[in-house]
Amino acid sequence: MSKPIKADKSILHELASHVQTAKNSTLGNIRENSLKELNSTRFPTPKDEDWRFLDLKPITRSEFHPVSEAGIKPVADAEQYFIPESENSRLVFVNGQYSESYSSVKGLSDKVIVGNLAEHIDHPAAGKFLNKLAVYENDPFTLFNGAFFEDGGFIYLPKNSRVKDPIQILNLYTDSEKPFFTVPRLLVVAEEGANATIIEDHIGTGDNKYMTVPVSEFKVHSKAHVHHVRTQRDSLKAIHVSRPATYIEKNGEYHSYTITLGGHLTRNEPMVVQEDEEVDFTLDGLVLIDGDQIADTHSILDHRFSHGESHQLHKVVVKGNAHSIFNGKIFVRRDAQKIDSFQENRNLLLSTNGLVNTKPQLEIFADDVLCSHGATIGQLDPEHVFYLQSRGMTEQKAKEVLTYAFALETIENIKVESVHQLLIDEVKRYTTTELTKEVVA
Amino acid sequence: MLEIKNLHVIVEEDGTEILKGVNLTVNKGEIHAIMGPNGSGKSTLAKVVAGHPEYEVTEGEILYNGEDILELDPDERAHLGVFLAFQYPVEVPGVTNKILLRESYNTIAESRGREELDPLEFDDYLAKKLELVDQGPEFLDRAVNTGFSGGEKKRNEIFQMAVLEPKLSLLDETDSGLDIDALRIVADGIKKLHGEDDAVVMITHYQRMLNYITPDYVHVMIGGKIVKSGDKDLALQLEEKGYEWLESYASVNGEGK
Repeated sequence: MSKPIKADKSILHELASHVQTAKNSTLGNIRENSLKELNSTRFPTPKDEDWRFLDLKPITRSEFHPVSEAGIKPVADAEQYFIPESENSRLVFVNGQYSESYSSVKGLSDKVIVGNLAEHIDHPAAGKFLNKLAVYENDPFTLFNGAFFEDGGFIYLPKNSRVKDPIQILNLYTDSEKPFFTVPRLLVVAEEGANATIIEDHIGTGDNKYMTVPVSEFKVHSKAHVHHVRTQRDSLKAIHVSRPATYIEKNGEYHSYTITLGGHLTRNEPMVVQEDEEVDFTLDGLVLIDGDQIADTHSILDHRFSHGESHQLHKVVVKGNAHSIFNGKIFVRRDAQKIDSFQENRNLLLSTNGLVNTKPQLEIFADDVLCSHGATIGQLDPEHVFYLQSRGMTEQKAKEVLTYAFALETIENIKVESVHQLLIDEVKRYTTTELTKEVVA
Repeated sequence: MLEIKNLHVIVEEDGTEILKGVNLTVNKGEIHAIMGPNGSGKSTLAKVVAGHPEYEVTEGEILYNGEDILELDPDERAHLGVFLAFQYPVEVPGVTNKILLRESYNTIAESRGREELDPLEFDDYLAKKLELVDQGPEFLDRAVNTGFSGGEKKRNEIFQMAVLEPKLSLLDETDSGLDIDALRIVADGIKKLHGEDDAVVMITHYQRMLNYITPDYVHVMIGGKIVKSGDKDLALQLEEKGYEWLESYASVNGEGK
């Protein structure tokens, strides 16, 4: 038993002392390289441009233990989080550990692989792409994940395969005696012409503190289409720092929708890289926060070749003392002509103590491109509230309906019925409850 | 039904006085038209009766069926049967006409002690009301006013009026933005909805709406006051002569513009 680690600015480095030798050489190499790099990468501070709005104290002033030493309580009623559409295409991880008993992958054609990384670590696609896509410069969190992960989700979609049912990657975090840390990992490789929808859930089943640092890597080959829904419903004390990276080849499509509802501190850094011409991608987000929640999205849309189309709609609703941060980087490289890129960040600030920081960041080095962006921060329009009140709704009800209408646009494109319905219910729950009552003097 | 006595109203934000002593009595069964130049306070009057929070009443009173309604919220006034057809109806994406109307209808029904309608009964009820504004059932599944043309928004206001069956309807420039055919449909709808138990107050710039709906009274508002009242012939006179000849009435008390 090692001593619990008192966290300071280099908490990730200190925790790295828990890293053990890997059994497999592929993992061993990743682990060794990540550790080495981690040791020469410093923890971010508010002086770093990309971290200046985010209060990192919830991480630095805490202690976290390995899952094995945290007094984990058993998961209660995991079935309630299963998506009915994914009855035969579901992977479940409990605190980062693969749960064979909760997983079910019997409904897939034998060439499609939906399984755990440890078992498929010698698959050529794993060798080729694992830890090669999530390239985040000077980022200790990605390296932290690289140094620790032993397992994760592995999805391999062979050429022209079409997976009809959505694939659910369910990450459950259970109640525990002490705060723990975990590093979920996901690798998705869609070969030419493959087609699938992936639902990646992160759900806290208790109200305990933990830190999850998920890294996911998606490789979308030529003509492949991947839909990716990420729902984040962590415990309200949780730290969630995620790194989803996607690379798209010619005529590939990737459409992702990230819904952030839980967590005390969330830092999400989705990155989409265009690797050839004629790609189409979406990176939409919906953030609904309340109480003392902090949700920070730093995204990168990297257009490296001509003829690309990208859309990003990031909507945020802030209540209570919550704090939202958005930084949307759009790169259009020098030879990437005929790019059509659209970014919009709309923030609805419903409380006097809430805070919104937004910073669109377009860096365009090509001359024949169409890039538009917009960022707004506002409250509900009193004229809209009055309109609904004049139709008989109370002021409270009118505000709920308008907030619901504001949020709805971002989940309309989620085609998996049960997930769509669940999110509608979550939006309704959010609009009708309050974590912090505002003090009226 | 509606008695407005010496009503003075300011814009809450900057204190500008818009209404400077309005007197108006509307009885049930009547149709009133309020005309007047831009900025004379016509729309403000309608919004104040409906309870718009932007305005503050500094003097006078509004009695509805003998009761002072100034302290009531807009929804409470709606429950009592007050309805405002907006000059600029609001777009509410994500909420369909049907959802809005079911919510409104049932809340209002509940407050009036009427039975709520179950979803099937409500569908039948809506189908009949749709005929009034010459719209098909797909109108119900569209998000409220979202992407509607100006004319569709106005029709939707009258459709809502038809469904909610108010006692006092304030129609704020419902005729503007309508082409001739739409104007006729909307006017016919209003006529069919109006009966001896309810009252309609139409705010309009033009005579053309009044060609279809004959008002019992026509009032002219200038500078925040009603300066002249008459019957339908007054509207015809206004069409012919404009408002200028009435401006002297407005300044008799030295308060006009």
